[in-house]
Amino acid sequence: METLASLGDGFAIALTWQNLLLAFLGCFLGTVMGALPGLGPSNGVAILIPLAFTLGLGATPSLILLTSVYYGAMYGGRISSILLNIPGDEPAMMTCLDGHPMAKKGMAGEALSLSGIASFVGAFFATWGLILLAPQLVKIALLFGPAEYFALFALAFMTLGGVSSTNQAKSAFAAALGLGLATIGVDTQTGVPRFTFGEVHLYDGLDFLVAIVGLFALSEVFIFLEHRHGGSETEGRKLEIGRLYPPLSMIKSCIPTMLRTSFLGFLAGVLPGAGASLGSFISYSMEKRLVDKEGTFGTGDPRGVAAPEAGNNAAAGGALVPMLALGVPGSGTTAVLLAVLLALNITPGPLLFTQNPDVVWGLIAALFIANFMLLAMNIPMVGLFTRVLMIPSRVLMPIVAMVSFVGIYGISGSSFDLLVMIGFGVMGWALRKLDVPLVPIILGTLLGNAMENNLRRAITIDNGNWWTLVDSPLAIGLWTIALIGFVLPLIVGRRVKARMHKRRDEEGAISD
Amino acid sequence: MSFTAIRGLIAAGLVGVVAVAANAQDYSFENPECIAPANPGGGWDFTCRQVGKSLQDLGLIDQTMQVVNLAGGGGGVAFAEVVNKRGDDNDLIVAASSATATRLAQGAYPGNTMDQVRWLASIGADYGVIAVASDSEIDTLPQLLDQIKSDPTTISIAGGSAVGGWDHLKVLIAANTYGIEDVRSVKYIAFDGGGEAVTQLLAGSVQAFTGDISEAKGFVDSGDIKVIAVLSPERLGGEFSDFPTAREQGIDAIGANWRGFYAPGGMSDDAYDAWVAKIADLYASDEWKAVMDANGLAPLDLQGAEFQQFVAESVAKIQDISREIGIIK
Amino acid sequence: MSDRIFGLFGVFLAIGFAVSALTIEESFLSDAVGPKAFPLIVATILGLSSAVIALRPDPEPAWPALGRLVEIVAAVVVMILYAELLPVAGFVTATAFAAGYLAWRLGSGPVEAALTGVGTSVGIYVIFHLVLGLSLARGPWGF
Repeated sequence: METLASLGDGFAIALTWQNLLLAFLGCFLGTVMGALPGLGPSNGVAILIPLAFTLGLGATPSLILLTSVYYGAMYGGRISSILLNIPGDEPAMMTCLDGHPMAKKGMAGEALSLSGIASFVGAFFATWGLILLAPQLVKIALLFGPAEYFALFALAFMTLGGVSSTNQAKSAFAAALGLGLATIGVDTQTGVPRFTFGEVHLYDGLDFLVAIVGLFALSEVFIFLEHRHGGSETEGRKLEIGRLYPPLSMIKSCIPTMLRTSFLGFLAGVLPGAGASLGSFISYSMEKRLVDKEGTFGTGDPRGVAAPEAGNNAAAGGALVPMLALGVPGSGTTAVLLAVLLALNITPGPLLFTQNPDVVWGLIAALFIANFMLLAMNIPMVGLFTRVLMIPSRVLMPIVAMVSFVGIYGISGSSFDLLVMIGFGVMGWALRKLDVPLVPIILGTLLGNAMENNLRRAITIDNGNWWTLVDSPLAIGLWTIALIGFVLPLIVGRRVKARMHKRRDEEGAISD
Repeated sequence: MSFTAIRGLIAAGLVGVVAVAANAQDYSFENPECIAPANPGGGWDFTCRQVGKSLQDLGLIDQTMQVVNLAGGGGGVAFAEVVNKRGDDNDLIVAASSATATRLAQGAYPGNTMDQVRWLASIGADYGVIAVASDSEIDTLPQLLDQIKSDPTTISIAGGSAVGGWDHLKVLIAANTYGIEDVRSVKYIAFDGGGEAVTQLLAGSVQAFTGDISEAKGFVDSGDIKVIAVLSPERLGGEFSDFPTAREQGIDAIGANWRGFYAPGGMSDDAYDAWVAKIADLYASDEWKAVMDANGLAPLDLQGAEFQQFVAESVAKIQDISREIGIIK
Repeated sequence: MSDRIFGLFGVFLAIGFAVSALTIEESFLSDAVGPKAFPLIVATILGLSSAVIALRPDPEPAWPALGRLVEIVAAVVVMILYAELLPVAGFVTATAFAAGYLAWRLGSGPVEAALTGVGTSVGIYVIFHLVLGLSLARGPWGF
């Protein structure tokens, strides 16, 4: 009851014309920045900080603006994933897998609407979770020491089997490549440079945004260059747009998926160091394991669109829990938001809810408002978004390429990063030709450092004892899920399939 | 670590906003520019943006200071760019902190030394703390160091910087001063930022925490952790005055994380003096003290030659200890 | 055949990665695992999966004809030139040329390519620099 009263106060703070206008502005800019490849939520928020200070906004209005950008970017990332097969930001990577195939089937409008609804559901439940469960959830975060984090990341990689490729060896290759790329740079545990070849630009490691934009966006440009056979076929991209809104039955069939993945994504978000990308990834792979009986995931299954979108938006809300209650950023974006809080003289941490209730509840109310606004903004705009597909690729692709370049250059100011990005583009093109999935590479570069560091922290804390990795009930539980849920089916599944093949062969031989 | 940097710099920025008139300056800049050697959102980025904005608000500069992000190599890319390509640019300043000095001292910017640039001024400092969980049996710094001395494997210390980074060095300075011969036996676990390190202290994964005072403040207030030593020369003011210093416990160790600016090595003396004066104006104000108290930020009022001297000394000191523990040869 | 070459390449990559990992200079100050162990584990997975790819190849992908390949190489060269010349020529000029080139190679006529180039470049400049305030390369004319 007390909670609801506080929430009421929060709405009283958030529902002023100025704050509503800021939320609207933030939602709009966030959606745009989320959709542009190269500008993810964290850079989007960072870019707008000077605006908040220039406008002379107080703590609560600034936070309303910036968290609206944050939620908006989470919505926006899906747009380019679905329409162009280029993730607008890293959590939207999983939305490509089924979203773009849907668009190819002429269901772009439906995919966009459905993912918009899924985003709303994920964010809606996450915001309630933030209100009702924040103090209890902090205790969950405290259960995760280095060994448990390592087990969690290992679980994520083991679920890779079958997410995006039929050839497991190629999935494993891609994951190892990503993990290997992540080891480039100064080793944070000992301070020695690794695989940098004396190049100072590499000391900080490879920025995963550079990798993601190169692998997805530039390689797409190369594919178009490859397929242009003279002027007449340049319109080969023309896709049917079809209906804009999904039938009710499609939404209904996705409801259980959305609810499950909202929960899972929220949990992933609550753990600092896991974040939205892991949230959308685990949501997709778990849901595939659970409901994909006919093997339609990856070919444009609506549930494959709903799952990662509900998951990543729920994770975005979940990531606010450790940020507010512990002062620990659960993702790149919350790290920037945390910096803003500190800049505004607000110390996040265990006492934030009692010391600055106006800020916390104003923020939470703003999250609700932003979420409804985003739904109201995104669904009617689906028709507008799908127009992108009508731009001929000879015009669209140069724009995509240049936006990618400027996104990277505008953030880092480094020509070297652009060269690395071009390298990734060529690599992405070759790997696509060879049918090597790109998602595991990104997952590897995203999680590689955290995975290695947690492994080494765990073992160093236990003075070199590797058994520490399976020393707690939680760690054992995670390893069990990984082995029984994902590795065993691969082995058993193959054997069963082989046996069925054999039997069919034998039957065939008899019938002959 | 970066969050504390941000905090300090924002504090500086806020001060700038509230500070009033400024001295007349003879030298004016055409295109004032500040390089933040990191991506937007980091500590150095905030230094540039907030100080730039405040300088303009105060009328100390006429134009908007352009902020350029030049990330890479923990600041090394920007340092090399300034030395090699912008060596005589009078309009340029670059954000720096203890981390810059640490990397320069350890040769982590290949081929670059601190003498290649001119050090302008500091805008504040954050003192280091060593803390334990509130239910820990350890109450004082000597107790902690005694236990490390008798069995170093039982104590893991978490911090937000890399091994050999500033959070690590602070512990080693204390351990070294206390007479622990082989400081390499001190078990330091590097986390991604002070917040994560404190969380692992609460989770019970580690036994002690080393970081900046602003990182620890919220958890001290909530009673989750207790600070056993502040690495400042004397007790801090305001609500931080309860924390004992290392010095009063008989361990003469001091660790301050400063933030400031450097400028290209070929900058003219006129321009250098003008920049120094402008930042000094920014620093001076009554509101500044209030902001520092609120943030646990300690005064560090060094400009021009004094600051140059200070950076040189800290580089030398970091070099000594790094050599001793074998990070550099 | 492609997969066999690719797998073999992967094996060499893994060996190179492992050798390179072994030469990492360890400082005196090391944790219990050290900076080499994780790269070595990764190299093992990389090598094993590459070997499997080489031994059990997928069907041959459709590689483009030589002319198309030259097209891609040319685009890569233009992009590299773009990255290198950006700080020299300034953002708007460099981007207009690069976008125009890509539009032309993707099938636009000369006029349309030029318009796409200039439009893209100015549009991005307005949105990213003037509205969002990102610093883009300044060039000799200040834009």
